Amino acid sequence: MEQRIYLVGLNHKTADVEIREKFALSGFNPVSDGLMHKGSNISEALVLSTCNRVEITCISEKKPEEIKPNVIKVWAEYCGENPELLKEHVYWLEDLEAVRHLFSVASSLDSLVLCEPQILGQLKDAYRKSVDEKTAGVIINRLLHKSFSAAKKIRTETAVCSSAVSISYAAVELAKKIFGELHEQRAMLIGAGEMAELAALHLINSGLKEIMIANRTPERARELARKFNGHAMCMEKMLENLHRADIVISSTGSRTSIISAAQIREVLKKRKHQPMFFIDIAVPRDIDPDVNSLDNVYLYDIDDLKEVVEENLANRREEAERAGEIIVKEVDKFSDWLKSLDLNPTIVDLLNKGESIARKELKKTLRSLGPGTDETTSMAMEQLAVSLVGKLYHEPIVFLKRRSKEEGSSQKFIDLARRIFNLDEEQIPQDAHHSKKRE
Amino acid sequence: MLSFRILDFFIALLYFSGALSFLLGLIYSNKKTQDRSVLITATGFGLHTIDLVLKYALGIGEVLTHSQFYISLLAWSFLLIYFFLWWKLKLKFLSITAAPMALLVFTGSLAISPATLPIPGLLQGLWFGLHIGSLFISMALLTMAFGAGMTYLHLDKKIKSKTRLGNVTRDIPSLQSFDRANHLAVIIGFPLYTVGVLSGFIWAAFTWKTIFTWDPKEVITVIIWFIFAWLFHKRLSGAWRGKKPAQMIILLFVLSLASFVGINFFTETHHSLRP
Repeated sequence: MEQRIYLVGLNHKTADVEIREKFALSGFNPVSDGLMHKGSNISEALVLSTCNRVEITCISEKKPEEIKPNVIKVWAEYCGENPELLKEHVYWLEDLEAVRHLFSVASSLDSLVLCEPQILGQLKDAYRKSVDEKTAGVIINRLLHKSFSAAKKIRTETAVCSSAVSISYAAVELAKKIFGELHEQRAMLIGAGEMAELAALHLINSGLKEIMIANRTPERARELARKFNGHAMCMEKMLENLHRADIVISSTGSRTSIISAAQIREVLKKRKHQPMFFIDIAVPRDIDPDVNSLDNVYLYDIDDLKEVVEENLANRREEAERAGEIIVKEVDKFSDWLKSLDLNPTIVDLLNKGESIARKELKKTLRSLGPGTDETTSMAMEQLAVSLVGKLYHEPIVFLKRRSKEEGSSQKFIDLARRIFNLDEEQIPQDAHHSKKRE
Repeated sequence: MLSFRILDFFIALLYFSGALSFLLGLIYSNKKTQDRSVLITATGFGLHTIDLVLKYALGIGEVLTHSQFYISLLAWSFLLIYFFLWWKLKLKFLSITAAPMALLVFTGSLAISPATLPIPGLLQGLWFGLHIGSLFISMALLTMAFGAGMTYLHLDKKIKSKTRLGNVTRDIPSLQSFDRANHLAVIIGFPLYTVGVLSGFIWAAFTWKTIFTWDPKEVITVIIWFIFAWLFHKRLSGAWRGKKPAQMIILLFVLSLASFVGINFFTETHHSLRP
């Protein structure tokens, strides 16, 4: 029977935050929570639950009409809510549509904040959980691995995620233009609002050395410091520590400016004129605009950054199209594989591969023998090579035929055979499964 | 000698394609073309090394009196320093000055007719070698720092004025890396320059029995030395960083260029390379 892929879910586009909270599936176990009980006909399942999306991917041989109501029911029951309410907000995708969707999710093209890096990690966690709970099988395994590699491909081959489209991203890019790699740089947050936190997150992702947080309420500073593994300080200590910071993000609610050009001049002397980058995202501004006129000091306020972002948005649209093309290509590849996951195509592929190897070796041998080889010898050699391949592959084929008649193990062994003989001609990197290798 | 002509031609051709392809790689922001251009320049540099060694080995004693040899050596030291900075700071970008400068000076060396320099005096080998070697290396450092300084000022202005960073600007390395190149050029360049100038005076004392002859080149050299010393001091003490040293190094480069081109070729002195 043909295996089908179903994906049911809701995200920031179809449901607002209250609904998403109600139907969150954190801690949901497909086996013990009734999704994959004996009669459900679902052979594999993956549950992704983040604050912006909740999705269940499942594999089944049955038709959608038989699967959909059951999945929705189990989901709603787990959350203690009405299935009818859930039905209003979910999208239901089948087969390649589901594959395409999952690839877009992994590459963060479907996210609220395009290209935010967390989603890939969340998807990896969800996959790990499904492996631990033994709900992932051949198809989910492959589907997830391929979605990770599609995400990587889009990240490296298109610039869709490289242009600075969020304000904090733009700030990081500018910091890199000034300092190069940020591994040796220290940053200071003055005021610990949400915006500052987001900017700090981007900076830390780029490998910042240290982060200091100065805030009026020390509790909040300490909270952020714990989160980012940084140092908290009270606002009074800010100025005397400022010379240690290369990047300063200011976002206090102060009515007047809190840092003047004269103060920065002193700070610069203290740090021997090492460059400084100020990002002032407060309104009204925290930092005296004259600071920008000092040598080795760069000051960007929120309007400056917004301008940079808008220029980059235009570039991104083109790149998004290229990313879409990559996804289409990857979905096609996946679809080919899915079709081949049957006994007959696998046997054909296996024999073809064997014969092509035989013919290649035959050609080599004949060439090394020179032109003097007579017809009978070469004919006999050809027969030998081809029949050798047939004999060698006979036992694996018999094994596959026997196993594919058994319940539930068909795909597993076909997939294994395809991988052992590398029938999909995949390039396997040297460091694959590195963590599992024995010393 | 014909074979040398062919070799020289090839070197010039390689430098030309190296310089051009780097520029193209930059304009079309193509990393691969940029990498390839450095490879081309490096090949030219290798051939150039062989060329210099052969010329020295075949015509020992004689070649040292040819002005052509020295100018070619200067072009070679530009690239030597470029590769040094690349290895030290990963600043491939300085190819933007290194390759064209090497091309310019090298073809310049081919264009002038092989004049014979009068190199008089005893002990010429040691002092003269020290004089030329240290000055050429410091000149090469100055030239690379000039390129770094120009790029620094350009990028600094762009970031300060918050103008859009185009594709070309996006490929330029960070401000900090250019400042590091400046730092190295000053820290290594100034002592070498001092050695070069001092050895010149000592050599002069041996050969002409006077130390200072008020030759225009000597005057401008002393001026450059004082500016260089000032910059060296400010850099070491940490008082200057970024924009000011970049501007100063550009000034120093222009002065040295003026002294090299203007005085070597347009005046009649003992520093003249005129035929």
